[in-house]
Amino acid sequence: MRITKKLKIKNDLGLHIRPATYIAKILQSFKSSVEFTYKSETINARSIMSVLMLAAKKNAEIKVTVNGEDAKAVIDCLIHAFDSYFGERS
Amino acid sequence: MKTKNELILKGLPISEGITIGKPYLFLKDENPIPDFDISKEDVQSEIIRYREAIIRSENDLKKLQSSLKDDDSYEILDILGSHLEILQDPFITSEIEKRICSECRNSESIFQDSIIKFKAKFKNIDDSFFQERVRDIIDVSRRILHHLRNENSLSAKKIPVQSIVISSELVPSDIAEISVGQVSGFVTQRGGATSHSAIIARAKEIPYVAGIDISCFKEENIETIIVDGSKGKVIANPTKERLDYYQKLIQDKRGFYQNLKESSVRKTETKDGFSINLFGNIDSIDEVDLVLKHNAAGVGLFRSEYLFLANNSFPTEDVQFKIYKKLVEKLSSLPLVVRIFDVGGDKSIKNHDEILKEWKNELNPVLGCRAIRFLMKNPKYLKTQLRAILRASELSKIGILVPMVSDISELFFVKEAIDSVKAEILNEGVHFKENISLGCMIEVPSSAIMSDEIAKHADFLSIGTNDLIQYVLAADRTNPQVSDIYSLLHPSILRLIVGVVKSAQKYNKPLILCGEAAADPKLIPILIGLGIKEFSVSAQHVPIINYTIQNICLSNAVKLAKKALELTSFKSLKELVESQSNLD
Repeated sequence: MRITKKLKIKNDLGLHIRPATYIAKILQSFKSSVEFTYKSETINARSIMSVLMLAAKKNAEIKVTVNGEDAKAVIDCLIHAFDSYFGERS
Repeated sequence: MKTKNELILKGLPISEGITIGKPYLFLKDENPIPDFDISKEDVQSEIIRYREAIIRSENDLKKLQSSLKDDDSYEILDILGSHLEILQDPFITSEIEKRICSECRNSESIFQDSIIKFKAKFKNIDDSFFQERVRDIIDVSRRILHHLRNENSLSAKKIPVQSIVISSELVPSDIAEISVGQVSGFVTQRGGATSHSAIIARAKEIPYVAGIDISCFKEENIETIIVDGSKGKVIANPTKERLDYYQKLIQDKRGFYQNLKESSVRKTETKDGFSINLFGNIDSIDEVDLVLKHNAAGVGLFRSEYLFLANNSFPTEDVQFKIYKKLVEKLSSLPLVVRIFDVGGDKSIKNHDEILKEWKNELNPVLGCRAIRFLMKNPKYLKTQLRAILRASELSKIGILVPMVSDISELFFVKEAIDSVKAEILNEGVHFKENISLGCMIEVPSSAIMSDEIAKHADFLSIGTNDLIQYVLAADRTNPQVSDIYSLLHPSILRLIVGVVKSAQKYNKPLILCGEAAADPKLIPILIGLGIKEFSVSAQHVPIINYTIQNICLSNAVKLAKKALELTSFKSLKELVESQSNLD
């Protein structure tokens, strides 16, 4: 299954190292491939460093592409992560 | 011998404190990274060598983590946790291995090349926060390179005691790994106040100044350096006078801090063994670390409205739940008092237009529809907050505190709301604390006057001196024109406090005093003498108030309070307190 969705970054500091680590940790329990696309750059969301390289700030919209058998669960988890400010105080 | 010139350099203050020491130049290995081809047969052993460097880096970090466990250094542990995750990043693992395979070159050169490309990406990003975070990646990569090159790190070097480390740049692990006795200060060319290195230096309480041109330390023969991390000053080869001046400054401070440090590990009790509960006030979840570090008895006041003042909108139930849950976890068995939203007055919400419109029409917002008054008109916000608190309450010592109560009916309103929320979440199968305690702020004069009735129904009371004083004396606490009127030391205030203390005693209910007055060491003896046994002050004031309490005799405090209650003017009360504090 392949799902594509646009998610908005809500936490004040953007996708810095802590959210990137948070995302990588969440994805560890899933099998699907997960890609983030931002400003015409597409990267592997499991890589903290690649996520950092997007330098996506607050309010940036990230195109998330999930491909694999557990895609639905992955996208639900990511929506929750983005909506809950990646566990950070906003 | 040539006399050495004193050199005063101005930089960025990063971590507070003053220190004097000998410079220790820590220059990074500037030899070029070896770059050579390897044969196809050697690829496998090269990959194994690379993997070993990663494993050794991982072991370093884990060792460092376990050595820090008792240190209360949550921030540092968090940073090291990120570093461990980075070591598993495909960018560091599979990507590099793939390149070693395909390019047949040594791992150092490929690794270095990848990191350079990574750094280049950030060159054009104009955001200091992102720039600082990249330093963590550089830190991890340097650790790996160390192991590939079999180099020593800063901690492995033999640094003389009382050294001041001078470097072009320090990565977080450099600072995390050194011992406090060995290094007494840091001076660097690059680095900012928001960096992880800065956070760690502050947690370790080592003075640190950045933004200093360090080239002069390489050339000149410098024996002594003064680092003033509070002012951001670095003085090389100080004159005799200046050295004396700073030595005296350090000694004075050391004596004071030593006392504070010793007092914070001792129990909060008066000289004659009367124990006092000292809590910390917090506005955000981060501040709880400081509360714990200073050994406070828990959080006596969590001003929950800061959750949305920062965000300009009401946080959802889930967002709130997570925050309360995290606080409960961090505090483990210690109590947490959540004051429900005190909005309105000087704390308005920009994104809620309809509410703002109503507020804008208020001529006198401090006396307007704020706190519980607002929540009663907008019960959905109250309900959301109560649900979040109750969901986080299982196995906790959470208390709910109602702000700005002017009539007992407001307390009953919240009590009923709590009961209906309890029934609701019970149906949903959520566990919560059955007998959650409900407290009442005593900050409106009417509640202070009616404290007897309130104490009968509330589980605990909390005197908010900031508002109580401003309402009783009709003096705006933000208006400098009336600042000579605004004071706790007015006979009317002391009498009201005594009344509240008596009510609380009558019904055997806990009473906390929070507000700026609780953080003023001069006022503590009189308040203890009046019968206050629990205080809640901002986290940073906990050590000084603890120290103050430990140096008070209850018997003297009671005598002082008795004398104070006989006085009838602000002037005479002020004189009494001043004469008392001069005796110490």
